[in-house]
Amino acid sequence: MVNPKGTSGLWSRRQMLQWSLAGVGLTGATLGCQKLNSLGSSKAIAIPPLPQNLPPVMNNLNPMTVLRDFDYGTVTQENGRTIREFRITAQNTNVQLNSAVSFITWNFNGRVPGPTLRAKEGDRLRILFFNQSGHAHTMHFHGVHPAAMDGIKPVRNNQATIYEFDAEPYGVHLYHCHIAPVTRHVGKGLYGMLIIDPPTPRPPADEMVLVMGAYDVNDDGKNELYAFNGIPDYYMQHPIPLYQNQLTRVYLLNMIEWDVAATFHIHANFFDIYPIGMTTKASGRSDVVTLGTTERHILEFAYSFPGNYMFHPHQDFMAEAGCMGSFEVIPPN
Amino acid sequence: MKNILRFLGIMAIGGMLAFLISCNQNQSNTASLPNSAGTQSSSPVMAGSKPQININTALLSELDKLEAKLASPALSNKIQASRPYANVQELVTKKIITQAQFDQVKELVTIETIALTGKAKDVDYMVKLGLMKGHLLVAKELLDLQKLDQAEPHIGHPVEEIYADVEDQLKERGVAEFKTSLVKLQDLVKAGKIVPQIATEFTTSMEAIDKAIAKLPAADLQDPKFILPVINGLLDTANSEYGAAIAEGKIKEIVEYQDSRGFVVYSSTLYEQISPTMAKSYAKNHQAIAPVLAKLKPTWPAAIAPAKAVTSPEEVTKMIKAIEEASNGL
Repeated sequence: MVNPKGTSGLWSRRQMLQWSLAGVGLTGATLGCQKLNSLGSSKAIAIPPLPQNLPPVMNNLNPMTVLRDFDYGTVTQENGRTIREFRITAQNTNVQLNSAVSFITWNFNGRVPGPTLRAKEGDRLRILFFNQSGHAHTMHFHGVHPAAMDGIKPVRNNQATIYEFDAEPYGVHLYHCHIAPVTRHVGKGLYGMLIIDPPTPRPPADEMVLVMGAYDVNDDGKNELYAFNGIPDYYMQHPIPLYQNQLTRVYLLNMIEWDVAATFHIHANFFDIYPIGMTTKASGRSDVVTLGTTERHILEFAYSFPGNYMFHPHQDFMAEAGCMGSFEVIPPN
Repeated sequence: MKNILRFLGIMAIGGMLAFLISCNQNQSNTASLPNSAGTQSSSPVMAGSKPQININTALLSELDKLEAKLASPALSNKIQASRPYANVQELVTKKIITQAQFDQVKELVTIETIALTGKAKDVDYMVKLGLMKGHLLVAKELLDLQKLDQAEPHIGHPVEEIYADVEDQLKERGVAEFKTSLVKLQDLVKAGKIVPQIATEFTTSMEAIDKAIAKLPAADLQDPKFILPVINGLLDTANSEYGAAIAEGKIKEIVEYQDSRGFVVYSSTLYEQISPTMAKSYAKNHQAIAPVLAKLKPTWPAAIAPAKAVTSPEEVTKMIKAIEEASNGL
């Protein structure tokens, strides 16, 4: 990890804490049921045991952790309103993308994609943003908020700022750095998902986040490597376990720069599509869905047969350059 | 029949009114929520006559005032490294200072957006212009080498990262806008052809920045108490950018290598301006700073990056911290 500020002591303590929390989360998930934030959902969803001894990839976080890691923030009540506070630091981290290529990412909280922030419609979001990454950066959120909270004013190195606005409207949204050239700032890894849950919770499901990203490692304006959740080919080497016949809900986001669109496809199945996550009724059914850069949807599906099923964008050059994964469908216990 | 229609009409209007009122209430609820984040408040917050220090945004030189008041070495760096703060009390909960120390400085600190005043405002302004100068200095070196593609990001950065942050101050100080000139220059360089307009537009941009700097009191520009905080602001950024350039001992990102070079080159130029005064009036500080600065410079042997890093990022951090510490107590 590139640590330009010589604050390794502080950071390692803080990160140790993050890791141990992540570890607890992981163990909790492997032991039993996913605790859904949604109030009133009685049906428990089972998460299959995760593969053991997965190699740490980035600050001890790997895409298997990132997959089901939802950050609900620190919750407080002010004047009868729910405030969710998030602390985000822009930093630089050298990441081994594959056996041959390492790349200095710019990222939020030491991970690509950044933390998946999650709230309920109407909550107040307070995001404390600290830039420790050298260049000026920002956090620009998609959604509805006042101009002052739009995250386009540069936050200089070693400065912090606070973004505060209401979580609205419900849907799958995102945040990214908006300093030009945005292609480089996003391509380096400065992006993440913001999920705003509807007032009436969605039905229980095994929920996961898939963010398609790409790396232009030689600054030539073209991507050399592609990935789901930051690391090329990770879910191909370590398939995502799913239970047969259990509803899976994928929060899907395309953050690929330099290519206009990516067409997400799952093998041997069809999914219901909830465009931008802004509906609670599916708009249609397909096995391919095309997303322009920053476009995102909720997809729901269940597999009837056990076995391994690939998923990838059907721009096959992207799949073959790392944006490739696999679900391992296993029968319930 | 007519009456019924009228009745329905009134009902409809009533319903709309109720809807409008409820909308308004929602809005006012949102608006009346105390914005403890306060990033939107624009009125300067003062405690008595003392201007406050925003612990989320202040430069190290501003935080040094707290460090001096509490006589707590390296406090400024600790406060900076532990950002962000949701409230000032977090100085205690994050164990940066004790409650007793906090009580001594609580009137001085804030997380509200404050309008900088006096020296702090001028230093902040000069750091931003200094960063622009650093970018353009390294751009010039690359233009002279006819490396237009490598020069381009450094002409872009002043517009993309800094201009929006200094625009209000430029207006306030009566500086003619020069974004247009910078954008023109960037367009010319992006086009990739070496044409005479590049040199002309470059000179226009650089002169515009110099004019903006000249709005500051001339005496300040020769005063170590003003220039050292600026130098440390620039070196702080150079440090982070250098860290972003190096991995496994190699220079992997030449843009960030060149950025940091520009900031250090301009810092050295600024130091030369105050060097005689330093030697005369602050000999001890000078003896601590000058040799470190001299040792720091060869980290960037040329605008074109060497394959291997001359100095490790850790070593650069150490030197830059040493300069910052030696700048204290003038």
